[in-house]
Amino acid sequence: MFAATELSFTYPSGRKGLGKVSLKGAPGDRVVVMGPNGSGKSTLLRLVSTELPSSPGSLELFGEAWESSRRDFRKRRDLRKKIGIVQDTPVHVEDLTGMENGLLFAELYGLPRAEALGAFAALFTSLGLDEALDVPTREYSYGMKKKLLIAEALVHNPDLLIVDEPALGLDPPSRAALLRILEERSEQGVCILAATNEPALAQELATVVVLLHEGEVVAHGSPAELLAKVGGATRIEVHVTGSLPADLTTTGPAFEGLPADVVSIRQLPGRIIAESRSGSDVLPQLVGAVLDAGLKIERVEIREPDLTDVFTLFTGRALGTEASDRPVENP
Amino acid sequence: MTLPIWRTEWLTALRRRRLLVLNTLIPLVFVAPIALSAAPAVHSAAAFTVLFALFGTFGSSIPLIRDGESGLLRRYVLTGVHPGGLLLQRVFANAALDLMELAPSVLVIFVARGSSVPQVAMVLPAMVVGLVAANALGALTAALAKSVAEGALFSAVAALLLLHWAGTFRTPVPGTWQATLETWNPFRPLHESLLAAVGGGPDLDLALLTIPVGITLAVLLLIAAGGRYTIGLGGR
Repeated sequence: MFAATELSFTYPSGRKGLGKVSLKGAPGDRVVVMGPNGSGKSTLLRLVSTELPSSPGSLELFGEAWESSRRDFRKRRDLRKKIGIVQDTPVHVEDLTGMENGLLFAELYGLPRAEALGAFAALFTSLGLDEALDVPTREYSYGMKKKLLIAEALVHNPDLLIVDEPALGLDPPSRAALLRILEERSEQGVCILAATNEPALAQELATVVVLLHEGEVVAHGSPAELLAKVGGATRIEVHVTGSLPADLTTTGPAFEGLPADVVSIRQLPGRIIAESRSGSDVLPQLVGAVLDAGLKIERVEIREPDLTDVFTLFTGRALGTEASDRPVENP
Repeated sequence: MTLPIWRTEWLTALRRRRLLVLNTLIPLVFVAPIALSAAPAVHSAAAFTVLFALFGTFGSSIPLIRDGESGLLRRYVLTGVHPGGLLLQRVFANAALDLMELAPSVLVIFVARGSSVPQVAMVLPAMVVGLVAANALGALTAALAKSVAEGALFSAVAALLLLHWAGTFRTPVPGTWQATLETWNPFRPLHESLLAAVGGGPDLDLALLTIPVGITLAVLLLIAAGGRYTIGLGGR
């Protein structure tokens, strides 16, 4: 469906957008790219969607090299018509209604009007957009525009669907509807390439997760494979104020005497993360040790490991941190 | 053959009623006092030509830059539509809209200056050529501009320069290169026909349209071929 080989992109300012990323997706695959802001997720999607040129690197779409196809209008057109794109920012003709916008893009994709009307009826109902179809899109909320964009990207039954931040701005029912639609399309053989910062969404949607950091792939695999890398330990995050000791490890003096079930202790800005094999049983000892170290506790979170932990494992940074932030952790 | 971009331009123009009214009334506010005054024909024709040419150029370049900045043009192109075809649909749709919005102003000129039927008949094709050329010029300046302000500046400079080379502001000496260049200029028939309509020159010779039409078609072909560069996609 698509095969990217060493895709690279440098912005005009000289900032690296992406560096030698290789990636592929087959029919039915749901490839989800994760990474903090500025890690290259959207750039990767824009390269695969043919919006940006890769230099160096190559892109193959539906078995054809994009570099040679892009010079031939017919080939370029035919390839682009097989792709559906949901950008992170929904852009429409603001004076047209939702349905008029939909029909415009369906027509640009070459879909007959009657066929488009039928497809939109089903999509709008699924996404809960029926009541706003005759309203100009300038009166739409962000979420409504995003839903319209999703419907427009799906109306021509693309073989490859590229979705940037699929659930951003969607309410819970719409989010669930979108996931249902994406899974149905995937079962029909559509390859989905998505980018998100939401670990829960990635775990729910992906067959393959790609973790990007500073424009490069740091890990990839199925969600289960990636989660296995961080083990099954429960994560206890103690959010604190005050300066963190430099020797904050299981073997350091601050945490001597903690049960052996605490397999690791690490620190990120403003928090201490402990991994425990015995769930929250170690919490009293851990909280005691933190207080003894002279730190003030703001709150404590207990959760099972997710893809953000995988990202932290490979990069030493939290997924929510900007790419340009410096790591503060004590590995 | 469907023309979705052409249709969208018309539909959005008709939806923006306030803008439609303003686009019709503002040229009238400029044109009517001049047409109804005793201003010399040569000055009146120059003022009308400048107004109509700038109307077409600005009206084409600024929305193109705005739609390029918002990402709408990129969305269109990523559906597989030909960028050149997209631009041509916009150029022709906007030229037709300009003609509709300027029609009351032109009518006032005809009535106020008592233009003859042959003079009126010559203004129409000259307006079509002039407005298509102005909109094509707007598409080209939009390709060079990186902001709406730059687009306005480039449009004004390019249109005024072409108007100067069309003989709108001076009479070139026959046989000079300026006079030759003038015969190619798509704004020349517009100026000549308006000058005739306000009683300041001979009726426009239809043959005078041939080269400007050819030049305009060549520019349109250039836009069609280089559409993906023109709308800022850098050839993608």
